[in-house]
Amino acid sequence: MSGIQEDDDLVFHKIAALLEPLNEKGVKLTRDIDIIADLEIDSVSLLDVVMDIEDNYDISIPVNTISEIKTIGELVDAIHKIKKEQS
Amino acid sequence: MSLFDKFEKNAALYDQLTAIGKNPFNVVMEEVLGPTRAKIKGRETVLAGTHNYLGQTFEQTAIDAAKVALDREGTGTTGSRVANGTFAGHKKLEQDLADYLGMKHCLVFSTGYAANLGAIAGLVDRAEDVVLIDADCHACIYDGCGLSGAETIRFRHNDPESLDKRLSRLDPKYNGKLVCIEGMYSMYGDIAPVKEFVEVAHKHGAMLLVDEAHSFGIYGETGKGVSEAEGVMDQVDFYTGTFSKALASIGGFLASNHPEAEYIRISSNPYRFTASPSPATIASAGAALAKIKANPSIRGDLWNNAKRLHAAFTQYGLRLAAEPAPVISVLLPTREDAFGAWSLLLEHGVYVNMAIPPGTPGKESLLRLAVSSAHTAEDIDRLVAAYGALADAFPSAKVSADA
Repeated sequence: MSGIQEDDDLVFHKIAALLEPLNEKGVKLTRDIDIIADLEIDSVSLLDVVMDIEDNYDISIPVNTISEIKTIGELVDAIHKIKKEQS
Repeated sequence: MSLFDKFEKNAALYDQLTAIGKNPFNVVMEEVLGPTRAKIKGRETVLAGTHNYLGQTFEQTAIDAAKVALDREGTGTTGSRVANGTFAGHKKLEQDLADYLGMKHCLVFSTGYAANLGAIAGLVDRAEDVVLIDADCHACIYDGCGLSGAETIRFRHNDPESLDKRLSRLDPKYNGKLVCIEGMYSMYGDIAPVKEFVEVAHKHGAMLLVDEAHSFGIYGETGKGVSEAEGVMDQVDFYTGTFSKALASIGGFLASNHPEAEYIRISSNPYRFTASPSPATIASAGAALAKIKANPSIRGDLWNNAKRLHAAFTQYGLRLAAEPAPVISVLLPTREDAFGAWSLLLEHGVYVNMAIPPGTPGKESLLRLAVSSAHTAEDIDRLVAAYGALADAFPSAKVSADA
């Protein structure tokens, strides 16, 4: 899935839109951004963003999966994978 | 790189607050003066950040029972419940709790934290089962899920529809399904629609665990908790609670009507690999239970105090997190304001708890006041006066700051 261009990836854009209000430092959001370290948001805020993603795509993303994710790209890939499994 | 790198961010704040003598996280009760009073920094202070909801810390029958147990059975059990740590007192307390709650089985753990940790880890299989938890559940529920290793899915706080959605789209690969909620949530003092959660969970073949740590002894006609107030005591699969709040001791329990709950004793590490509560703590918890069962007016005193404080704070225009409850939280938009407001209350001789994100449900900080039935009219007057000063000094704590 990492072959997908950021420009074309709707999941990436959705996540970026959900993270933007928390992006207080105005970091440019790319696949390589470490969500917690680079955006300086806490782990619970990330879980809350994931809940919005879940409801948006009508999927469930276990907390266990989220705890293994560091970057925006990894989150995008995880969502693509779960979407495929749960569709 | 070092193990200690992770402390850096919080350490700076912690050290800075300590240096100026305003650290809410290392307060020392220098001398305890009664159920609602202690000396802090040399000053007599009204305690409104304890969970002594029913004022039982100095209940004479509990103190006497603890002394007798200490004299007869010694200072500690020196063993776990499954080895040498089960005394007659532990079994009697389990029976008394089961009788009170109208449940067939009860297991006593060493703390409330261990009860949830042990219930979840003991019930849920890492490979086959799934846990669904309210997003605002206490850390011990999250940790129980972590310890179980099972897949864990969060649903929106107090939102049965959000749970329904998640149960509906659940992969059929899962075998057992456990849903975890709390009766009253301790940060905001808001209560769960337990009845609706029972219906949703059971509709999907899931079992429901309700943690009533903060609501046991307080909600419901006979004080059994929010599950009783909602009329579903007999439908809750697992009921967990603590001795360290309404019962003013330390320890925790799990109650259930499922006979299989007994086997949690042999499958749960937080039950079988930690020392059991000491004879004195068990004895005082049992005596406090007898006391609050026999005296519903204690609960009434708590509610009167809660309503009075809530009304006074509302009058000040303070932004409160929930309806009147044993926990009354004032929301503050920033961490800095929360530290400042907390210090101001302490300077006015009032101790409450302060919480900041991510320890709070939203993005805001809060000051949490825990009401006690033992708060005297004078205590309440001091609390009301101190919060008046807070309202004057911190406009950000008021409703109008929102507009």
